[in-house]
Amino acid sequence: MNQADISKIVSKLRIKVPPEHRRLRGPQGPEGRLNKLRKTVTGLIKYERIELNYRRGDEARQYAERLISEAISHGDCHKPTMEIADYWLLEKQLVHKLFKVLVPRYENYNTAFTKMYKAPQTYYGRNIDKAVLELRGNPYPSLTNKQSNNRLLLQNVLLDAAKYDYRQAKYAEMADKMSKTEELQTKLDNNPESKPSESS
Amino acid sequence: MKQRALSLSKTLLLSHNSKGLPAIRCISTKEAIDRRHHLFDLEKKRQLENIGRIEKIEVNYKGVPNDCTLIMNKDISTPYDCARHLGEWHTESSALALLDGTVYWDMHRPLTENCTLELQRFNIAEPQQVNKAFWRTCSLVLGACATVAFKDSVPVHLHSFPGPDIRSGSFIYDIDLPTLPDWKPTPQELHTLSAEYVQLCRKQLPIERLDVSQELALEMFVDNQHKAKQIPSIAKATGKVSLYKVDKFVDISKGPLISNTAQIGRVAVTSVHALTGSPDSEVKKLYRFQGVALPTGVILNHFAFSILTERAKKLNSARSPINPFADQSNPAHESIAARA
Repeated sequence: MNQADISKIVSKLRIKVPPEHRRLRGPQGPEGRLNKLRKTVTGLIKYERIELNYRRGDEARQYAERLISEAISHGDCHKPTMEIADYWLLEKQLVHKLFKVLVPRYENYNTAFTKMYKAPQTYYGRNIDKAVLELRGNPYPSLTNKQSNNRLLLQNVLLDAAKYDYRQAKYAEMADKMSKTEELQTKLDNNPESKPSESS
Repeated sequence: MKQRALSLSKTLLLSHNSKGLPAIRCISTKEAIDRRHHLFDLEKKRQLENIGRIEKIEVNYKGVPNDCTLIMNKDISTPYDCARHLGEWHTESSALALLDGTVYWDMHRPLTENCTLELQRFNIAEPQQVNKAFWRTCSLVLGACATVAFKDSVPVHLHSFPGPDIRSGSFIYDIDLPTLPDWKPTPQELHTLSAEYVQLCRKQLPIERLDVSQELALEMFVDNQHKAKQIPSIAKATGKVSLYKVDKFVDISKGPLISNTAQIGRVAVTSVHALTGSPDSEVKKLYRFQGVALPTGVILNHFAFSILTERAKKLNSARSPINPFADQSNPAHESIAARA
């Protein structure tokens, strides 16, 4: 009842955030986990597209998204945001990149700021899921060859032609209807002889 | 069967066509197909033996994974062989080859000189020529299905198919069925035709090409009066007739065609319309077989595909070979559409 609206306190991310975080076990414990993730987030902001293990990539993605959304909502004059950026970006010149390049790029986005693909596993390697994590709007060529918008593909040519046919049929129907109503109108106008003289 | 075909061709050669014609016309559709197939194989073997000393050519391949130079055999190696050097994915997905950036070449047609080679798939940025080749292949395979699908008692004389027009919504084969004066296929029969088509595609057959002389082409198609009549005009320019073979079925086409029937994915034979000839034409009636198909790997929603099949059921307005001046598209309808 009297609870605060959570979405106003924490920025809402546009990716799925699991209820529990991954532990990413190592000898240094939770601190080691955070150090790993800081390295990954820094790498992502620096290179804009990285290939890594799926678990670590998915975990780092959430922090990167959060970092960018904080930067967008508070700007570079907000002290806590600057502290967050200072913590997550190990190379300090990237703080400038975050506020001067990425914030203008993502200000008007309606989607998430990052994109993750599943990458192929090495054939004789250990059975570890690989992923490619990238910032949207990066300058590299696209990873997928999805061309469903290419109007020259066979299926699109067929569908466009079908659409054109359907429209032509509809127009013909409308024209028919209009001419019929016009005929009716003229008939009605001609029968009572007083009307046309008044209108003219 | 082979011997019979051989003896038939021998008698034909001896009698110089004039006496042999009526005898040949009597053979059944199946025997005619076998005979044509046999002659095709013999001619192919002969052309291979004629090459003599094998020379090498340099083929510069451009494309994924990287540009490279292949040393191939002149007049023997095909773009398909080049694709086999590159990998399985290339052999399966490439439909057409592009030589020197200008000439479209069949995948199974031997290369004749040094050239640069690009392999074309269905999902490249500018697939117009690949689409045309696909549509042409679909027409040709439709002819093959129709000849196989009928009983032996029904003679099937293929007439021709027009150039590929994808926007018309259907591919066509005009076929003469002299013993069926007014046949209207039931949905069941259309299903059977489609099933025949799918079976042929699932056999994963390469589509072979062969250029033959006019005389040999006339001999191969001596049982089919329509094709025999068309051959002189086809051969007028170069003196050669390009033949394509799918399974055992041999047909004339200008080409190029795609590489393999496995590249034809979803397919439906949608309708058969009767075409009536103009009063002065020799052929009074033809049946126009129509269908629609998509390449393998194209995923299309069943509803969208049903729209395409519904559209392909309407009579295709391509020019009728026996009544070229009849206006099949409704002129009144078009003028109304133009007004609206």
